[in-house]
Amino acid sequence: MKLRRRAGIRHLLYHPWQLGLSLLGVALGVAVVVATGLAVESSRQALRVSVETVSGRATHRVVGGPGGVPDSLAARLGIGAGVRMLAPAVEGYVVSPVDPSRPLHILGIDPFSEAPFRPWLAGGPAADGVDGARLVTTPGGAILGAETASALGVEEGGRLVVQGGARTAVIEVVGILEAEDRWSRSGLLDLLVVDVAEAQEILGREGVVDRLDLILPPGEEGAALRARIEALLPAGTRVEAVGAEAGAMQDMLRAFDLNLRALSLLALVFGIFLIYNAMTFSVVQRRGMLGTLRALGTTRGELVRGILAEGAVVGFTGSVLGLLAGIVLGRGLVQLVTRTINDLYFVVAVEGVALSPGFLFRSLLLGTGATLLAALLPAWEAGSASPREAMARSSVEDRVRTLVPRAAVAGVIVLGVGAVLLALPTPGIEVAFGGLFALILGMALLIPVTTVVLVGFLRPAARRIAGVIGAMAARGVVTSLSRTAPALAALVVAVSVTVALGVMIQSFRGSVVGWLDTTLVADVHVTGPSVVAARPDGEIPPGLAGTARGFPGVVGVSSYRSVALQSGGVLTRLLAVELDPRGEAGFEFLAGGEVRDAVFAAFRAGEGFLVTEPFAFHRGLQVGDTLSLDGALDEEAGALERPVLAVFRDYGSEAGTVLLSRDLYDAHWTDERLTSLAIFLDGSGASEEEAARIASRLREAAGPDTPLVIRSNTELRERSLEVFDRAFEVTRVLRWLAFVVAFIAVFSALMALQLERRRELGVLRAQGMTPAQVWGLVSMQTGIMGGIAGLLALPVGAVLALVMILVVNRRSFGWTLEVDASPELFLQGVLLAVAGAILAGIYPSWRMARTSPAEALRGE
Amino acid sequence: MGVRGWVAAALAVVVAGAAVYLGTALLDAPERGEIRATLSAVEALAGEDTVGYARAEGPVPFDFPADHGPHPDYRTEWWYFTGNLAGEGGRRFGYQLTFFRNSLAPESAPRVSAWNTNQLWMAHLAVTDVEAGVHLHAERFGRGAVGLAGADSIPLRVWVGDWRLAETGEGDGSPFPLLLHAQEGDWGIELEVEGGKPPVLQGEAGWSRKGPEPGNASYYFSHTRMPTRGNIRLGGDAWEVEGDSWMDREWSTSALSEEHVGWDWFSLQLTREVEIMFFQLRREDGASDPLNHGVLVEPDGSYRSLEADDVTIEVLERWGSPLDGTEYPVAWRMRIPAEELDLRIRAPVVDQEMNLSVRYWEGAVDVEGERAGEVVGGVGFVEMTGYGG
Repeated sequence: MKLRRRAGIRHLLYHPWQLGLSLLGVALGVAVVVATGLAVESSRQALRVSVETVSGRATHRVVGGPGGVPDSLAARLGIGAGVRMLAPAVEGYVVSPVDPSRPLHILGIDPFSEAPFRPWLAGGPAADGVDGARLVTTPGGAILGAETASALGVEEGGRLVVQGGARTAVIEVVGILEAEDRWSRSGLLDLLVVDVAEAQEILGREGVVDRLDLILPPGEEGAALRARIEALLPAGTRVEAVGAEAGAMQDMLRAFDLNLRALSLLALVFGIFLIYNAMTFSVVQRRGMLGTLRALGTTRGELVRGILAEGAVVGFTGSVLGLLAGIVLGRGLVQLVTRTINDLYFVVAVEGVALSPGFLFRSLLLGTGATLLAALLPAWEAGSASPREAMARSSVEDRVRTLVPRAAVAGVIVLGVGAVLLALPTPGIEVAFGGLFALILGMALLIPVTTVVLVGFLRPAARRIAGVIGAMAARGVVTSLSRTAPALAALVVAVSVTVALGVMIQSFRGSVVGWLDTTLVADVHVTGPSVVAARPDGEIPPGLAGTARGFPGVVGVSSYRSVALQSGGVLTRLLAVELDPRGEAGFEFLAGGEVRDAVFAAFRAGEGFLVTEPFAFHRGLQVGDTLSLDGALDEEAGALERPVLAVFRDYGSEAGTVLLSRDLYDAHWTDERLTSLAIFLDGSGASEEEAARIASRLREAAGPDTPLVIRSNTELRERSLEVFDRAFEVTRVLRWLAFVVAFIAVFSALMALQLERRRELGVLRAQGMTPAQVWGLVSMQTGIMGGIAGLLALPVGAVLALVMILVVNRRSFGWTLEVDASPELFLQGVLLAVAGAILAGIYPSWRMARTSPAEALRGE
Repeated sequence: MGVRGWVAAALAVVVAGAAVYLGTALLDAPERGEIRATLSAVEALAGEDTVGYARAEGPVPFDFPADHGPHPDYRTEWWYFTGNLAGEGGRRFGYQLTFFRNSLAPESAPRVSAWNTNQLWMAHLAVTDVEAGVHLHAERFGRGAVGLAGADSIPLRVWVGDWRLAETGEGDGSPFPLLLHAQEGDWGIELEVEGGKPPVLQGEAGWSRKGPEPGNASYYFSHTRMPTRGNIRLGGDAWEVEGDSWMDREWSTSALSEEHVGWDWFSLQLTREVEIMFFQLRREDGASDPLNHGVLVEPDGSYRSLEADDVTIEVLERWGSPLDGTEYPVAWRMRIPAEELDLRIRAPVVDQEMNLSVRYWEGAVDVEGERAGEVVGGVGFVEMTGYGG
């Protein structure tokens, strides 16, 4: 027993490169999963901390529509309903030129109402916390966390210019908060606490607050107070419970998170291949010793347990190393993920990575479990052979060959399951991913049989080209199928996934380009400085649309007002438009647009909504269905209900957008503000100079205190694609990480395979094969494998790409994409496979060519 | 140890190191919680700065009813109501309702937002139920903006949220009677307060010095006996009450000198319509301060000053706050030889500590003693600041 255990561990230590590769496989796989998990968890946690930081202990809040809650309501509730725990809040985002990539969260509060809500912000004449007096009376006075202050390079008393609100404002730091724990550090990150009056002015929200936070007692007392409050609320405002917000925001991220996690799991799958390979190798290599142990009386069970124990040690060690690497990698990845979330969803500031005991435990379990899973087959193999058989390599290969047809049958079944999962009419993303993984697994299982068949075809060709050595090389692939099959499968999966992701990204980009070409019909686009690239949260003076219409050369102006509305517990983005007829061309209807003129006439008349494709998808809406929006000023209905007139293509927002006519919007909400303008110029294809001229006139009209962001059609198009490319950076990084793991798996498998053939090659050398011929044999064999992998990866990649585009993406985000695949992507895949395989053959063949035959044969 | 040994050892070290790192990372992991942070680099309290405010630099004739209203040019101001009331069957109550106005800065920031202000309001409410030995107290803050808190002079109205004092009359030149309304949960007061005797101008014609430096003074007048009726709610019970209130009106920019650690303030309503106010500034060295000052009001409303030397106050008993053992006097002997007064003052409920954002003791007291050989009784209120917390 002791002997066996020592023999096992000794073996590993005496083959450090083998141990190293096994560890590397586990570690890399775990690292990618951990890094992705951390990035996702960190952003989620940051979101939760941020939401809880700003809502504090509030149980309820009074919110209004896009117009906000009128200032006067605070006193009406405080005096009229005797609400004691009531605190106003005004929130928004700005950036400092010091670091424009860092959106700063403005939280405007009344420090004298804060004590019950956010005790750390409570101010009073004798309170220990915030110096409320200075916050309230210092123009531009702000309090921020120490980390944020040092990141922005400001100190107590220092000043900071911020932009992105209604005007360029100067902040004066009146206090710096030193966080006492990590939660607080995270909550304070990029938060600028200012007085509510200051926030209103920075953000151009004079007269309204975003919400009035409330603490209502539980039970009947609270219900009675709530009823008293509700009796005093003006139309368009309402009381809602706090807590749903973070959940709703996290729901928005669900599909995004899931896609990232699924992608990272691929890396672990490749890692499992690697481990399987290394464990099999170590079993095969020790078959002599294992046979001896069996002959000495070690039972099968002991042997299996021994191999599994080795697997557990390797798996655990590798997982720990992988965790460390993953944490390092995660720190980088979290930046990318955060930026994408900021671009596409909402602003969230992430402070480091969020480690939790549960997460660490799960990661270790995943890594160790995956290793054990991979070691199961080799262990079973070592245990099932009789002592005599165990000492012979050929028996292993014999058994593997009998497994080939079984694997093929299993592969077909798994493929079938995958196809069924994908065809299910459920909208579940998990199901789609299940189907995708089943497809990948099924195809991997079919690889041995395909290889055998392909080699059958290749052998005559190889013989013709390279004679005996060619035939040997081709046959070698099949004779050592136990080793080549997993390596090939890993290579095929890696290459095909890389190809598929490439095709998916290309199709997506192609669709976005096409959409931009259709949508961007105006010549000049105007908006306010926006904190987040992809979201229209800037603001421009309401009068600017009329001013622009009066400019010579301007033939039409569409104006837009973008607002996020809490409706039915979910955030709905509304776009109120005053659409110039020229802008109608920018809509590509996917449903309901058969009679375009009729649709636009009804839309203008306020008879219905236009919704984007993702919106219709997420809400399960068809043309003609009624959509209801809460929070309208409509006293009787309490909600605005209209049918969906048409669904149009849009890649601007994953959650989707509802378009309504400005008149309809104005009839139901009090909000004069404007988000952007689209200006049409005289003459087709107006020149850039013309656009620049209009831009300078607009700036003049807006005045120096109102910064405008003005872009020509071309500039906006470029900017949009920039944001798109940035959004896919995470996917690209994961694609490459997965590929690197797969590459290492293949490389190590092929290298191990060739190193193991040392004696065989030694015999060949002894029989007169020259070193060059050995080199040729080895490279040719790995080259054949690379070629087979590349060939197989093409159809597999195409199928995976289609599944990703048509099923996964559609179910995750609700987007229909035009499939767009350039041949280069596929060619790249084949080259990648062949190059990787040949590279893997270089070291073993070099080493074999150098070794004298006598040395290679020694130990016989 | 061979190469393999080193490999194994190195691996073991790495794994152990990783375990330690992960362990410490976990210890630092955020928990679900609230922001805990301390404000660093707080400069000297803005409260000490008096530049830019109006100062009480000498007697100025009062202008009623306008001077019942706010004086926002001064840093602090208060409307201070205390009273001893009796309910059915003689059940005795004390109450305090005070509105404090605080200027946070001489000027408000240059903003157009309706929330903009430099005024912070605070109100304290207390009810003492002597029979039950209960003292309830509460506090509110309000920003002097968007109607959350504020004050108007004519007609007089001062409010912090729904706690308020308001003129009920017809604007006949006098703000009285006043309505005092303050409810905290299931307890509170609703009282109508008459003007009673004419106002007593404290100090020199209403200019009350609180420190040797010029300007360390307040404008200060009192209504010393104000017939009061209304009701007090405590839990599910409500009592019709009746009795006398005392109102102190004071505004200033800097009232206390640095050498003073606090003050004791007595307002006593004796039988036979005599009232006494006396405050003593407590110095760090424990000595009596020459600025200690008071007033004695005769039944006809005439009054005369009581100087520091006229009054001796001896503490008879102390009570330790259960919060932290801070000791407050709760029984005194006050002698005013020139007036032939010898009074024993005692708090019927010792725990009338106001544990609010400003911690002090303020409560109803009983008075027994004699004046010129005749037995006098009475009730009153005592306020003591600077003892603890």
